[in-house]
Amino acid sequence: MNFVESRNLEFEYIKYDDETDKKTSVKALRGVDIDVAKGEFVAVLGRNGSGKSTFAKLINGLNTPSGGTLYVRGLDASREENIWDIRQNVGMVFQNPDNQIIATIVEEDIAFGPENLGMEPSQIVKNVDMALKAVSMEEYRNAAPAYLSGGQKQRIAIAGILAMRPECIILDEPTAMLDPQGRKEVMDTVTMLNKEEGITIILITHYMEEAALADRIVVMNEGRVAMQGTPVEIFTRVDEMRSLHLDVPQITELAHIIHGKKPDFPKDILNIEEFMDAFKYMGFDKDFSYRGKSTHIKYNRPILEVKDLTHIYGRETAFEKVAIKNVNMTVGKGDFIGLIGHTGSGKSTLIQHLNALVKGDEGSVYFEGKDIFEDKAGLKFIRQKIGLVFQYPEYQIFETTIYDEVAYGPRNCGLSEDDIAVRVKEALEFVGIDESMYKKSPFDLSGGQKRRVAIAGVLAMRPEILILDEPMAGLDPYGRDEILLNIKKMHDDLGITVILVSHSMEDIATIADKIIVMNKGSIAMYDTVDNVFKEPDRLSAMGLNAPQLTLLFKRLREETGLDVPINIYDVKEAAEILISALR
Amino acid sequence: MNITLGQYYPVDSVIHRLDARAKILATIIYIIAVFCADGVIGYGLCIVFLAAVIALCRVPFKLMLRSLRSIIFIIIFTVALNMLFIRTGSEIFSLGFIHITTGGVLTAARLCIRLVILIMGSSILTLVTTPIALTEGIERLLRPFKKIGVPSHEIAMMMSIALRFIPTLIEELDKIKKAQMARGADFDTGGLVKRAKAMIPLLVPLFVSAFRRADELAMAMEARCYRGDINRTKMRESVYGRRDVFALSLVILLTVCVILLRILL
Repeated sequence: MNFVESRNLEFEYIKYDDETDKKTSVKALRGVDIDVAKGEFVAVLGRNGSGKSTFAKLINGLNTPSGGTLYVRGLDASREENIWDIRQNVGMVFQNPDNQIIATIVEEDIAFGPENLGMEPSQIVKNVDMALKAVSMEEYRNAAPAYLSGGQKQRIAIAGILAMRPECIILDEPTAMLDPQGRKEVMDTVTMLNKEEGITIILITHYMEEAALADRIVVMNEGRVAMQGTPVEIFTRVDEMRSLHLDVPQITELAHIIHGKKPDFPKDILNIEEFMDAFKYMGFDKDFSYRGKSTHIKYNRPILEVKDLTHIYGRETAFEKVAIKNVNMTVGKGDFIGLIGHTGSGKSTLIQHLNALVKGDEGSVYFEGKDIFEDKAGLKFIRQKIGLVFQYPEYQIFETTIYDEVAYGPRNCGLSEDDIAVRVKEALEFVGIDESMYKKSPFDLSGGQKRRVAIAGVLAMRPEILILDEPMAGLDPYGRDEILLNIKKMHDDLGITVILVSHSMEDIATIADKIIVMNKGSIAMYDTVDNVFKEPDRLSAMGLNAPQLTLLFKRLREETGLDVPINIYDVKEAAEILISALR
Repeated sequence: MNITLGQYYPVDSVIHRLDARAKILATIIYIIAVFCADGVIGYGLCIVFLAAVIALCRVPFKLMLRSLRSIIFIIIFTVALNMLFIRTGSEIFSLGFIHITTGGVLTAARLCIRLVILIMGSSILTLVTTPIALTEGIERLLRPFKKIGVPSHEIAMMMSIALRFIPTLIEELDKIKKAQMARGADFDTGGLVKRAKAMIPLLVPLFVSAFRRADELAMAMEARCYRGDINRTKMRESVYGRRDVFALSLVILLTVCVILLRILL
């Protein structure tokens, strides 16, 4: 028997509507057949609300099936008496690292599971040692989890499961809230546990590169299994994946397009390595040359200037930390700037200075030539003109209706109700929230909708500059695309100057004009997109990557001598060039 | 951001190394001793004992004095009341309706000393014990009372989860505050009503987030087989050693002496 076996599995829950006082049952799973063999690494993909997490919780006995059968380790998961046995052998890691750490000391947190199982103290110590070693966190044994990075916290959460010696670990979007470095740490740990310790892995994720590491992928849609197969089998069905609002890795999509024109070119390609092999094997026109687009830098009139800005946290205490140091930069009116840098590089601190939320210890910020702190009464005006959308902006929602939520900013600006109505409508229309929803509670919306309402709340203040801190974080591919499109429209149609903080180099490459790279509290690079991504080695030294296509084209130039530019960020454009280069 | 909880002063000393249970019990017994103390010798014993502990625990004396700051008004108030209204012994000063007598001064001095050594003595407990150790100590001390329905494990679990999440929630509150300020919120001006109203955009998201966190935490705990105190072990159960017994005996001895002095003299 397989480790997990589900047949026609159903799950249904009752949803209560406050307004209409009606109870409706929602079918989260409508007949799911999924088998997971012992030692297998299975990735589960699907849009938000497709039933992925529900399935995971059923396996762990956190939910009880309402129909069909589910066997885990040969035990019926719908029976109460089997739940403890199952939970002991199937660990679960959740999305938010902060909300699954129980103790104030790393070691004690890892011991929590074994303690619950009633293990002998000497055995617990052994298991904790083993678990810390497995996730390479030995030196943090006595650290306080609050001071660890996101990636480290997730590794602690994994260690907490490992210490119970499980046969299987389910990870429910474990990397959604992490930066690329943290994602890599977690994924390295997960693959190691699968390959070396033989632990069965079920990974729920929105990142296609992570799913590509699995033995098998299950794609869910609307409570059913839509597709199943090896990563190659799944990702080569590009059109089907698109229709399910999912992504495929860029390299796979590129191969897919080339394969459409040149059927000899293989389409089962998951990474740059495989692509290079296929390309070299195919044979290409050695004299091929493509000039590429020349990028002319637009010089815009300066609107925001930062001069010698320094900020030190906890000055003159034991915890003193320089957050940003001697930052100088100029933002032109109408610029679209991508702000990148690994976690802790000072990005978040910097943007909070730009709209006077925080005052620097040294240096100043000038908006339209005027020091933003010059006139204390003018702070509100500055914050209105320079809008700031925080990370996870939906967490600041508080009003009872969507309308009032968006109206909060304009009301604080002291506008008349008529003016406010115009602005609220304009902002909500812009992010695609229909007028019929205005009286609804924002708390009833889906994650992506909530975020768009929160962004509308800042947009309604009609900012001239809009700063967004990782606005796509934690969303599914469809939600990410929607937000990105919205931001592009704000820049192109409304003429808003945008500063976008993101970890996705692919997104930044296609949408921004210029890039600021922060490193250790200073601006390491501030240049056009092409010039910044021209130096992938310099970026990787700062814990960053260049976009996938840039890396591919760089290798093509270096290894095949093909005269191609490396400033290609669009898959279709890349495909066109390569198709004409291939014989 | 760094938030230190409680007043724990991290140095290594004989007192720091004592078991939390011994420290909690010793504090309680010490309080009894102070309440029973009377006469110069009684107070003298308590002061000498306190001085010895202060010297041993290596916490700067300045920090100890700080604990008195919060009760300075209570001290002044009681001293003034006693001096004004106690009319025993001979008069040393009088002006209009104010009569200060030797009896009043003595009582006031006695009360003042008692309050100071009481507060200083008990503040040492939090200075030399980490919040986690305190929590565990309370759980262990309450354990015998479980039979009569005191939920000692649950109390300790609640306290340690609170300790774990206070920094997280403070950070969250800071973020929400900044986010609302970015939307033009103003928390510093206006009358009481306006300021109270301005708190809504802070408190609603904070509570929503706290509930979400609680929900996720409960699920994570369940997934890790938590089911209360049923069949639970501890990785490191602190050991009650000889020095703990010794320390506790010393305090008990002090109390007995103080009580005996009171009865005999």
